[in-house]
Amino acid sequence: MKDMNMESRVLIQSNKIEARKVQVYYGTNHAIKDVDVDILDKTVTAFIGPSGCGKSTFLRCLNRMNDTIPSCRVEGLITIEGEDINDPRVDPVQLRAKVGMVFQKPNPFPKSIYDNVAYGPKIHGLTRNKAELDDVVESCLRKAALWNEVKDRLQAPGTGLSGGQQQRLCIARAIATSPEVLLMDEPCSALDPIATAQVEELIDDLRSQFSVVIVTHSMQQAARVSQRTAFFHLGNVVEYGETTQIFTNPKDPRTESYITGRIG
Amino acid sequence: MKSAFSFPFAALTLFAGAAFSQDQAVAEATSSSVLYRLIFALGIVVFLIAAFTVGRNRAKTMRSKVSEMHSLPSFHGAVTLQYAALGIVLAIVLHLILGRPLGLGGAVAASLVLGGAGALFGLSTIKADFRARTFTERTIMVALILCSLVAVLTTVGIVASLVVETGHFFELYPASEFFFSTVWNPRFGGGSSLGILPLVWGTLYVSAIALVVAVPIGLMSAIYLAEYASKSVRAWVKPAIEILAGIPTIVYGLFALITVGPLLRDYFAQPLGFGDSSSSVMTAGLVMGIMVIPFVSSLSDDIINAVPQSLRDGSLGLGATPSETVRSVVIPAALPGIVGAILLAASRAIGETMIVVMGAGAAAKLSLNPFEAMTTVTVKIVSQLTGDTEFASPETLVAFALGLTLFTITLGLNVVALVIVRKYREQYE
Ligand SMILES: Nc1ncnc2c1ncn2[C@@H]1O[C@H](COP(=O)(O)OP(=O)(O)OP(=O)(O)O)[C@@H](O)[C@H]1O
Ligand SMILES: [Mg+2]
Repeated sequence: MKDMNMESRVLIQSNKIEARKVQVYYGTNHAIKDVDVDILDKTVTAFIGPSGCGKSTFLRCLNRMNDTIPSCRVEGLITIEGEDINDPRVDPVQLRAKVGMVFQKPNPFPKSIYDNVAYGPKIHGLTRNKAELDDVVESCLRKAALWNEVKDRLQAPGTGLSGGQQQRLCIARAIATSPEVLLMDEPCSALDPIATAQVEELIDDLRSQFSVVIVTHSMQQAARVSQRTAFFHLGNVVEYGETTQIFTNPKDPRTESYITGRIG
Repeated sequence: MKSAFSFPFAALTLFAGAAFSQDQAVAEATSSSVLYRLIFALGIVVFLIAAFTVGRNRAKTMRSKVSEMHSLPSFHGAVTLQYAALGIVLAIVLHLILGRPLGLGGAVAASLVLGGAGALFGLSTIKADFRARTFTERTIMVALILCSLVAVLTTVGIVASLVVETGHFFELYPASEFFFSTVWNPRFGGGSSLGILPLVWGTLYVSAIALVVAVPIGLMSAIYLAEYASKSVRAWVKPAIEILAGIPTIVYGLFALITVGPLLRDYFAQPLGFGDSSSSVMTAGLVMGIMVIPFVSSLSDDIINAVPQSLRDGSLGLGATPSETVRSVVIPAALPGIVGAILLAASRAIGETMIVVMGAGAAAKLSLNPFEAMTTVTVKIVSQLTGDTEFASPETLVAFALGLTLFTITLGLNVVALVIVRKYREQYE
């Protein structure tokens, strides 16, 4: 749990992302129903809920990754800093550079570890020379708690790492683009407790610059890292509010039974 | 299991057919003798079915008395069939080895005796603890191995005969002349110069032009189909491109001879001062390039489609554009397969004959001018073997040396491809 002055800081923060009446359909399957969620700036927001309730689907709406699924249709209004992201004038490529994403399944590119991390900075021209790029790669790998394990084999293929290492590589790759919002879909599901703690520390650091949205199946993790929590159930957001309030004093009986382990 | 059993039947029938078709050279091939042989083959099949049924029924009866049997009755039937078939094969082989002493009647008698003995032996194996299932499995495996051996041995046989005949050729004609002479001028009266260089040069030149045409077009259309096209567009365009592969090469040849050749001559070669030949390397190369487009595009399309969507998502999620994603993630991931597709197209181009004859002509020449008539190894193999087919002179035997050289070139190409692919795999898997 976070202490009181952190709570007060949350209160003065502005909305980074606003979602209103969002509906998502996969063909005829209505996967997200009437979701209203505000993501605050410089805050960690946790999405919790049983498997298949639409957490990943909603997360993918926030950077328009659902565009890549032909059967998927998104309705409703989602704005980032007041700008409608589904407006035809918005370039999804720029949006995704601003709203980075770590996927549920690790998906390193079939390239070297170095090139995986350098990918974003290269395509966006974030660095001016090789030395700067080296620095970015190193600092991102350090932040993702992977540097010590790979510093001697940066040219080895990223696909040759273990599952947990691959996931941290994907985290490093995502933060190397310096996004304003970072969407993390179960980033710790394949990690041991030590790496998990390091990633949680990273998330807490990132909060000073970015807003972070994290999907997690671990109640403890949601309680540890997030300031706000949204509970998803069967495509609806049942309850959304301060993490402390959700975990200590849930208003909806479904939330209560989920966090105490009775549904899910 | 049924289909697995029908395989030995079919094989045996074929075998019997082959054995007796040789007989026909000796005996006069009247239509009635052909009929007898067919009846004999049919008899073998009936006999084997009978062996199977008897064996199975016997095992069934035994099963009703004995409490536990290792294998099901049909497996015991199969074992009986296998022994009977073995007997018949032995009979036919004996008949052939001994020089068909008693004619068709002898073969029938031998088959009846040995096949019957085999069937009886098979029946005697039927016991509660006999592992008929394992036995049958093993026979099936042996049959599968034999089939794959056929493919391997054929390749070995072809290569061996190429090598031997090439040896004969080099006894009659100096190898250094063959490999390093720049003149190809066969004369059937003797005193020919048979230098392969102009032919290899023509082959490589035409194939290179074909690949320069086919690789970019094929690869780009594959990328379009796999990454950009909607489902309905893909459903139309892909088969349309694949039709190109189904057009007979002679039709391409006509197209080269009648349309492309004169067109290139009138609008490029003559105005640009490259000469006025309507058959040219360029004509054959362009047309051949069109022919091999589907080899590149269709395979590459399948391979690009097999790249997991999660890799594309990862790249797009970092703010890469679709074309950046294709260039930096999808193509590198698909590269081993794409290299394979290109090499397939290359071997196809190197082996092509018809388009070259009709598009590039039959004159062996060493020239850099792409608008000049040249020819390739395959064309010369054909022209050396039409007419005179007595394999005694260097002029005909050279066909084997040419074939072997061509084979070596394509083999080398495949090896290079394998090396590239393996190196790439090591790096990325
Ligand atoms: N690509 C897709 N095509 C069709 N339906 C999909 C697709 N992805 C998700 N769905 C459906 O949408 C619903 C929500 O799925 P989603 O992946 O968002 O769940 P989730 O909350 O992330 O679950 P988990 O915790 O297991 O990851 C499910 O019913 C799922 O079947
Ligand atoms: Mg999910």
